Amino acid sequence: MSEPWWISIIKAVVIVNIVLGLFAYLTLIERKVMGRMQLRYGPNRAGPYGLLQPIADLVKLVRKEAFAPSSAIELPYILAPIVSAFTAIAAFAFIPWGPGWTVHGWRINGEVANVSIGLIAIFALGSIGIYGFIVGGWASESKYSILGSMRTCAQLVSYEVSLALSVLGVVILGRSLNLPEIVARQGSWLPYAAPEFIGLVVFFFGGIAETSRAPFDLPEAEQELVAGYHTEYSGMRWGLFQMAEYINLITLSGLMVTLFFSGWHGPWDIGPIWFVLKTMAVLFVFIWLRTTLPRLRYDQLMRFGWKILLPVATVNAVVTALLVVAF
Amino acid sequence: MSTLVAASAGNVLVWIVWVVAVFSCLGSGIAVITFSNPFYSALALIGNLGSLAVMYLLLSAEFVAAAQVLVYAGAVVVMFLFVIAYVGPRRETPWSGGPSWQTVGAVGAAGALLVEIVVAVGMQANGSLHSDGRVGAAFGTPAWVGRVFLIDHLLAFEITSVVLLIAAVGGVILGSHTRRTA
Repeated sequence: MSEPWWISIIKAVVIVNIVLGLFAYLTLIERKVMGRMQLRYGPNRAGPYGLLQPIADLVKLVRKEAFAPSSAIELPYILAPIVSAFTAIAAFAFIPWGPGWTVHGWRINGEVANVSIGLIAIFALGSIGIYGFIVGGWASESKYSILGSMRTCAQLVSYEVSLALSVLGVVILGRSLNLPEIVARQGSWLPYAAPEFIGLVVFFFGGIAETSRAPFDLPEAEQELVAGYHTEYSGMRWGLFQMAEYINLITLSGLMVTLFFSGWHGPWDIGPIWFVLKTMAVLFVFIWLRTTLPRLRYDQLMRFGWKILLPVATVNAVVTALLVVAF
Repeated sequence: MSTLVAASAGNVLVWIVWVVAVFSCLGSGIAVITFSNPFYSALALIGNLGSLAVMYLLLSAEFVAAAQVLVYAGAVVVMFLFVIAYVGPRRETPWSGGPSWQTVGAVGAAGALLVEIVVAVGMQANGSLHSDGRVGAAFGTPAWVGRVFLIDHLLAFEITSVVLLIAAVGGVILGSHTRRTA
């Protein structure tokens, strides 16, 4: 059941464009939703209901002068946003959108890359993407940037452990690291959110910290650090960092839907639409949290990650393993 | 005929990837020890570990490749970078070559290690390097690695974990000792 290479390439182009479009409109949705929650309208000037706002933003970013600090270290400074954006987009290759289809005798799989280690590959790409944030802040030769980088570094390393341990329960239940297999095993009626509820909660908190969003947005706390690691970036280089962050958020939501909410399964046979709807619902919760909760203090962040989240994730994984072996 | 063409095209691709991976591995390895700025050395180390992962992929050890990127390139080098950025930019070279006998000794020891590896691999392989490896479809998958670690070589695996635990305990003891005396 393998597909020809040219179908994979077409599919990759289509999915990259869907994800980029989702990113562009996620920025609009976020500003709209936050606006309504704060009794404002949000952007409403460009086009009907502000629907052309992402295009206006893009044109503005592309036409903006891409200045760099004179003391910036050239090559790493330019490469850093590219690395982050590339790994963010590449990680989406492993997430299944549907059961796979047969069109005119050609087999089309529901994901771009079907590998036995899909879950680890997503985490591995994410851990390479971190380097973009760290190296970008370091190469800017600015105090605010380097402080933002250090915070990113410490926070992401701390919460990566809990995040990886939280999905261990799902891996044990699904008996696979291959995402399509995990989705197929969940079926329509038993998403792993039910037996792995604690794992879901830990994954959710770990995910907010990994994407540096409120209330865990200390690496970019604007009152303290101007903007963190991307303080010295402008124009489309800044845009690439922003793109990497939002696509990481979309990937994380897609991964959450795949692991805990049975992916593309649903009452009717509209696989990819279910997947997108569920992902949008998770993204809405992330935006909701951002408008609701104030930022944590740094010591609270570290204490929460190491003393609460990590033990809970470990106990959850061990208990799941024991139960699976016992029954 | 068409499958033959496809197979040889695949072989050419494998050769190209292998050559690129080998040379970037050697190049980045030399870069790690020749850069005077430790931050660049750490970045070169990422390249080195990444090209090693590509070679694992060519050996159809996909789990090892992903674990290599996730654990070494992902977590360990991040800690290196953290420490280097924390200590701050230090423009002077921290270590400008010891006495010359150290250099000679290092080169000699590295050469001896290389010869030892070549001899050991040659004796172990016993001529089977000329033919393609015969591995099943399950080779290199997480299930296969799990069986090898936790069933076939459980004792060695557990002893390794005890060694790592001792290293961690040693680190904690050294750290707390310095804090008390200072």
